[in-house]
Amino acid sequence: MNVKTIAQKGWKIISKQGAVLAILALMIMMLFFDTNFYTAYNWLDMLRSAAILEIVAFGVTVAVICGGCDLSVGGTLSFGSIVAVMLINAGMPIWLAFVAAIIGGALVGFINGFLVVHQRTEPFIITLGMGMLLKGLCQVLTDAHPLTSLIPDFMKISNSKLFGSVPLLVVYMLVLFAAFYWLMRFTSFGRNCYAIGGNYEVAKYSGIKVIPTKWTAFIISGVTASMAGVLLASRMNTGSSVYGDSTGMLVNCGVVIGGTSFAGGVGGIFESFIGLFVIQMLTNCMNMLGLDSYFQKLFEGILIVMIISLDCFSRKRKRERV
Amino acid sequence: MRVGNRMKENTSTRFINFIKNNLVLMAIVVLVVVTAIVQPKFLSAANLTNVMRQLWPLPFIALGMTFVIIGGFIDLSVVGMISLSGVVTVALIDPLGQVGAILCGILLGAMMGYLNGTILTACGAMIQAEVLFITFGMSSIYTAIALLLTNAETLRIARCIKPYTIFTALGSGTVGIVPIVLIVFAVILTIMHLFYKKTLAGRNISLMGGNKEAAFLTGCNVKRSMRLVYTISGIMSAMGAISLVSRVTTATATSGTGYETNAILCVVVGGTTLKGGKGSVLRTMLGVALVVLLGNCMNMLGLSTYMQTVMRGAVLVIAIWLDNRKEL
Repeated sequence: MNVKTIAQKGWKIISKQGAVLAILALMIMMLFFDTNFYTAYNWLDMLRSAAILEIVAFGVTVAVICGGCDLSVGGTLSFGSIVAVMLINAGMPIWLAFVAAIIGGALVGFINGFLVVHQRTEPFIITLGMGMLLKGLCQVLTDAHPLTSLIPDFMKISNSKLFGSVPLLVVYMLVLFAAFYWLMRFTSFGRNCYAIGGNYEVAKYSGIKVIPTKWTAFIISGVTASMAGVLLASRMNTGSSVYGDSTGMLVNCGVVIGGTSFAGGVGGIFESFIGLFVIQMLTNCMNMLGLDSYFQKLFEGILIVMIISLDCFSRKRKRERV
Repeated sequence: MRVGNRMKENTSTRFINFIKNNLVLMAIVVLVVVTAIVQPKFLSAANLTNVMRQLWPLPFIALGMTFVIIGGFIDLSVVGMISLSGVVTVALIDPLGQVGAILCGILLGAMMGYLNGTILTACGAMIQAEVLFITFGMSSIYTAIALLLTNAETLRIARCIKPYTIFTALGSGTVGIVPIVLIVFAVILTIMHLFYKKTLAGRNISLMGGNKEAAFLTGCNVKRSMRLVYTISGIMSAMGAISLVSRVTTATATSGTGYETNAILCVVVGGTTLKGGKGSVLRTMLGVALVVLLGNCMNMLGLSTYMQTVMRGAVLVIAIWLDNRKEL
């Protein structure tokens, strides 16, 4: 009896967190192959490769928890990278270019917020259109060529290592993770976001300033995306309009894979962290096993369809029980 | 005096209402007039035939997408479906002959669409977000299959041993000055319009888009309608793929890229609301005309292709915004 309840509780936790299950499955699977998977270097490398998408995901999570969605992050990421590199090449100090790129991202988020929150449009298609617009803008700015930075110091932002082994990119990600965790867990803004996502009308009548809060969530999403763009540009020493091509969809999928639901009000930063990490880990495992990139695309698609279908299915069962 | 005043008011309000209801038509007229004044070559026969040849497969995709959007959903998997059915069609010309290849391509499109619909109904996807991401995932699965089948190589029609006259006819054949593919499309458009307006299944799609609960309670089989709209989208994607393959005479595993946003753009610009329930097949064609003409006019005026992407994104955002304001 007792064992049964414990097992039930354990199953509940795991079934709520499909992503954790996926990570465990991948880790067990990798035990049977003789690869370099279980080395500190590989894990640090995975974290470093995931860092850019993770940073984007932290901001997107805030928007998704509010009951929105931001598919324009891909465009914002490219835009941020290009603005930063252009300004640095024009002779601006690096920190000022960084700030300028972030202000650009905030502006994009502001426009998204105006359209989605103030004008109450459906967030999905309109942010998709916004992403397309931004990609076009990036291509106009750069004439669709990659833009290399002329100042070597810019590369140091992302490529240096702490204590000689931990990439700084991972450090930035962990710092932002802590900041966003604190924001969503321990501040009134974060708790208001959950309330708004859970039930917009109820939140409104409970005296939460719904419009400014949700609007801010979109601005945050834009800011993190452009920040990630600058970091990526620094890592590659190049700004390009193709960086964000798959980011928007991938990040939003990753957020949902982690367990943050598009219905809003459920999930969190840690869940998104796990969700994006699953995608990165899957890629890493497939690289280790030497699968070609077309198979990787196939498995990625299957993973997305399966996990989002499961998310839908559990919600459907909940609906029917009520 | 008073009567005359009222009549004047009446005609003016009617005029304003006419413009409000036919904003797209007005935009097309303005666009054509302005471009024709700035660049007289725009109205030359060579340019117009060029436009009529270049616009495929967008009308097919937009036609399929219209049904999905009227049903209250969205379909991003057209990218994968166009790529996969195009590749399979070309690959099958040699073993099955051209008619068999075309039939197989369309059948494959229908199957892929049906699979999408079945997955969506099985997991009970109701809100647009879920549908959006599941179809996106399906799209990458289809594209990956196409990549695996072709090994990312380009298939050329000209390399086929068996005759491929139908493809040549669809790609460059004309009756008078009207391209054959346009005639084929007109027939399909008429059938689909009648299907939407006159049959029970067609009306059920609109009913489902308006309110799923109400549709279910009035005895409409929502799940069947859902599978139906996705199957239509699949068939249209396959037909679009065939028209694309005929025009460019090659098939690659990534040839469908970008058509999903363009198709959504055409549908929304045409005046079909993303909330579902309202819309018309013929209005979508106006949307297609506007989007294609916009591209051509920008080419004529010498603007870069990148500027066109900006323009399309801006038009999409503004169209959704305006459409939403109508409801407020």
